[in-house]
Amino acid sequence: MVFDYVEQGFTPARRRTFAYNPSPFIVSRHKKIPTNGDCTLFPLALSLQKFCNRYFMNRYKAVFFTAYFLLSAPIVSKAQSADDDGRQKTVELEEVVVKAKTPVQRIRASSFNVIAVDAGALRNTSLDISHALDRVSGVKIRETGGTGSNSHISLNGFSGRHVKIFMDGMPMEGFGQSFRLGNIPVHIADRIEVYKGVVPIELGSDALGGAINIITRQSHRTFVDASYSYGSFNTHKSNLNFGTAKNGFFVRFNAYQNYSDNNYKVKTRLLNLETNAYSQEDYWFRRFHDNYHNEAATIRAGVARKPWADRLQAELTVGKEKQDIQNANLMKIVYGGRERRARSIVPALRYEKRNLFAENLNLRVSANYSLARNNNTDTLARQYNWRGEYRDKSFKGEGQYTMGEYDNRNASVSAGLNYRMGGRHLFSFNNLYGNFSRRTTDAVANVETSTAATFMRRTNAKNVSGLSYRFEPSQRWNASAFVKHYNVTVRGPINVSTTTTTVYEEQKRTFSTSGYGVGATVFPVDGWQLKTSFERAYRLPSENELFGDESLETGDAGLRPENSLNLNANISYECTFNQIHSVYFDAGLIYRDTRDYIRRRIEQRYGGAFYTNHGRVRNLGADVEARYFYGQTFSFGSNFTYQDIRNMERYSPDGRALIYYRDRMPNVPYLFGNVDANYNINNCFGRGNVLSFGYNMRYVHSFFRDWESEGGDIVIPKQLSHDANILYSMRSGRYNIAVEALNIADEILYDNYSLQKPGRSFSVKFRYFFYR
Amino acid sequence: MITNFKQSVSARLLAICCACLPFVFVSCNKNDDPKPEPEKKGAFFIAATGESTQYILQVDNPETGTTSISNNIKTLELSGYTWIFNSNPSAAVGLIYQQGDPGVGLGYVADENGSLRESGQFLITSRFTSYGFFDRYALTSVGGVTPVDGQGNALLDAGGNNRTDGVTFNFFDLKNNFASQTKTIPTLNITGNGQQATPSGIVDMGNGEFLTGLVVSEPKDPTAGGGASSGAITYPDSVWVAAFDANLNLKRIYRDDRIGYSSGRFRSQYYSQIAKADDGNVYVFSGAYESTTTRPAGVLRINSGATAFDASYYFDIQEKTGGYKFRKVWHITGNYFLLELYNDLVPAATGAATQYGVVDVIGKTFKWVTGIPALDKITATGLPAPHNGKMYFPITAEAADPAIYVINPTTAAATKGLTVTGATSINAIGRLTHD
Repeated sequence: MVFDYVEQGFTPARRRTFAYNPSPFIVSRHKKIPTNGDCTLFPLALSLQKFCNRYFMNRYKAVFFTAYFLLSAPIVSKAQSADDDGRQKTVELEEVVVKAKTPVQRIRASSFNVIAVDAGALRNTSLDISHALDRVSGVKIRETGGTGSNSHISLNGFSGRHVKIFMDGMPMEGFGQSFRLGNIPVHIADRIEVYKGVVPIELGSDALGGAINIITRQSHRTFVDASYSYGSFNTHKSNLNFGTAKNGFFVRFNAYQNYSDNNYKVKTRLLNLETNAYSQEDYWFRRFHDNYHNEAATIRAGVARKPWADRLQAELTVGKEKQDIQNANLMKIVYGGRERRARSIVPALRYEKRNLFAENLNLRVSANYSLARNNNTDTLARQYNWRGEYRDKSFKGEGQYTMGEYDNRNASVSAGLNYRMGGRHLFSFNNLYGNFSRRTTDAVANVETSTAATFMRRTNAKNVSGLSYRFEPSQRWNASAFVKHYNVTVRGPINVSTTTTTVYEEQKRTFSTSGYGVGATVFPVDGWQLKTSFERAYRLPSENELFGDESLETGDAGLRPENSLNLNANISYECTFNQIHSVYFDAGLIYRDTRDYIRRRIEQRYGGAFYTNHGRVRNLGADVEARYFYGQTFSFGSNFTYQDIRNMERYSPDGRALIYYRDRMPNVPYLFGNVDANYNINNCFGRGNVLSFGYNMRYVHSFFRDWESEGGDIVIPKQLSHDANILYSMRSGRYNIAVEALNIADEILYDNYSLQKPGRSFSVKFRYFFYR
Repeated sequence: MITNFKQSVSARLLAICCACLPFVFVSCNKNDDPKPEPEKKGAFFIAATGESTQYILQVDNPETGTTSISNNIKTLELSGYTWIFNSNPSAAVGLIYQQGDPGVGLGYVADENGSLRESGQFLITSRFTSYGFFDRYALTSVGGVTPVDGQGNALLDAGGNNRTDGVTFNFFDLKNNFASQTKTIPTLNITGNGQQATPSGIVDMGNGEFLTGLVVSEPKDPTAGGGASSGAITYPDSVWVAAFDANLNLKRIYRDDRIGYSSGRFRSQYYSQIAKADDGNVYVFSGAYESTTTRPAGVLRINSGATAFDASYYFDIQEKTGGYKFRKVWHITGNYFLLELYNDLVPAATGAATQYGVVDVIGKTFKWVTGIPALDKITATGLPAPHNGKMYFPITAEAADPAIYVINPTTAAATKGLTVTGATSINAIGRLTHD
């Protein structure tokens, strides 16, 4: 485990430098380690030095030693990412030049077009996972409101079911509303990996446009990380992380809570309750029914580093969420009593064993089960307006009367096996089986919209197997190839009647297909890396698409999967001059050719709706990121994304010429970016204390909501917002106070048409971090 | 957007399902003044849908030419509006109710130059399955709702379940910025046989009353649910029509056993099959949708001012159509009505209906409409507009841009008029004039 120490010894030092860097994409670089008397790593110093001398003579040996991401990352990175946090540490060494890779850096050195967000650098902020992702090139998070509101991720223009979300390699589908990117704080994550277009086999899923993998903190040490923040709109957030280990046994506990009234001001039309007519002009109103809170806890316990298991871990996560619903998809439609609740419980098991039966044969098995219950309530017989006034109505429900409950159950088992042969060949196999079922439990509550089929079960069993091979002939380049096989079996009710009287029958349909991909990376000269990757990716039809919506729709067993040819090419450069100036640059080109979208169509000649494959969209885009560091004092960085996403389908499904042929895809941001800067005053008011000032800018160019050639004039306006923060970190990061101001200029911000986001807000955060 | 197609198509579904309704054109032809007045300033209002978004176009002459959807005068915030048109006062009313959310209704009028302009936005808080005009109001209705008492508590049936016999009416005042009133009335046993009723269609009698067809059914099964407002149909061989006044007081019930109920049902919708001819008599059609009915599709008559069906009048339309039943009925002019007929002799669950015919309810003749695309080529149709004795009917055919077809009622022959390029369908056409 010497190697672990190399990493862990240096990661904190590196992180300290940018402990409040809002854009945690850290370059690896030579580092001068100061000598002083406060030596937490002293016993390791000699072995560390030896290790470094032995392995790190050549700067890029380290890269190759650690860059087994394609195949071994799930095991290797778990063990090696076992570090934690922004804990500051001073290493007792003579001046040595060390080049070591954190997991974040190692991931970037793979041939995938992947970005790893170092969550450790963000833990003094009040960000959730989705806001952390919003600062990644190629990624745009689109929110419908304030804390806890719905957020949708757009990854190179893909969104919805084309982007799959994982936690520790397990799919989060079915975890329910109480666990989603928008309400999980960054505290739980060690890092967040964003795979653009080409997804490793370990993340077994039919991810057409990419995947996001949240890697949770896995430290096997004793640590406490507790924080509380309070901010505008009566927002409270707290988080407690605790972990300890002894004699190979370890326990970790994490709990967090978010609470907000979200009573920010919005500008919209007023409904006259007397006449039910809208005002002609917009007025400012304070949101009055948008309270949100969620609470969640995870406990993990297990053994590590035993002869029979490198890790065996049991885990239980519980969470719940309650959200008032203030408005509909048009903000002028306002509610005063609707709400939504969600609860989830997720037990999980994980087992890892290296050198199983044979040297270099590693096994990992994970399993989880999730039960999520979602509940929608709309029972008030009232009509509200934006002043919070209401009048009584003669029927129940502000929108549609419901007390509906929906249960989702999801079981997933993932197994990965990899084998390293003779140093140059790495084989890997991964299989993920997921079984998803959905059932509506409350018959009376859903009476208005339901049919008899509403209460029949629906299941979706999916199996994705992947096999990959990686060839590493030299330390200058490596290449890999993989194949994936997808299989889905769905069961559900279908209307088999040929007359106007519906007759339901449960039917089963299966579907399978295969995909493949390749990747390669080259390190031609010091500081430079080139990489390219390709995947033929698929998304399988869902149960609705195969079955229809069980009333007047027909599914189509002849559907093809949605498919996309995804191509990436990246070039990156990093260098340190005079041991104080560091630069990092990365440019990526992406190409996506996506076809056979599964679309619901309705044609009067056929009556009810049906699903068909149609459409072709091409995306040619570029992500650029550049970053400069001045020692541990100053950093400045920026990333920008431009994507030219256009409809390349000339004809409608029935053969009509399309007016929007070659139009830019509507309602998708296509030009956006971030700028950040950070300035640290080290040893401010005492040794080991850091005062840092941070700034972040977010820009999204305006875009059309509808096809431009149709002559639509609805635009989502340009968004330019500025955030700033001040952090004072004491006792080498043990005590932290951060003050944040978001949207300083109080811009009116929209990610989606009509749905206004919060204006200027302030928060203060206290954090205690202890690490042994 | 890559994932938005499903949404968009479902919006289109709503548009297509709802966008056609029979409505009464309160005719100006009965003007006794022999000198024809100069035509009022106005324009045709066309609602057309692109890939997913609905737009409004202003057109002077729908009988010829080509325009593009990009020449629209307005992009609508919501898509899937059901448009209905009134002649006096002249207005277009866009109705929408989103799944589970209220919708923002729109009003359009013609200004003094004859140009279309938005005249108001109003909230539509309840579902609607039928709609029309009455007096100065646009009226929507939905059945199968749970009535509440003064405290907002649900009324329960003998079994302790929520009652489902409520019908909610919304009145939107065309002369007062679409100010709305909502009222829910119970319908349990209004036909005297212990059943509940769902209204279908609205015909203004001009005397402070309106008529509506009733789909009379058992209460909804509270455990089975059902998107429809009605429960099981126990009396499929009877037709009921109710007369209400402006305060929704039930004035009388018309009943007959020669045809089944008067409603064209599709999913949750109850399309009107009741309409007034130019002579002021109301024709009550029945498309014989209910699979258990033994009565053929046909039409009865309620003479102007009568309190019962005209016992001497009956027209078996199904006999003339070769056995085809129909779903929608629109008045064209005089005694002529346009029918939308099912494509199958036994209507299928999917409800495919792309055949059209013209009936003369006095001459008791039926003619298939000619000159329009073949039934297996029609992908969408829209709400037609009667104008100057002709019917302007929006049809979208496979591999073609949607167009307005001009139907001559006496010959039932159609010619292709205005084409709208770039649209996937024309949802509605109507003429607005400056009052």
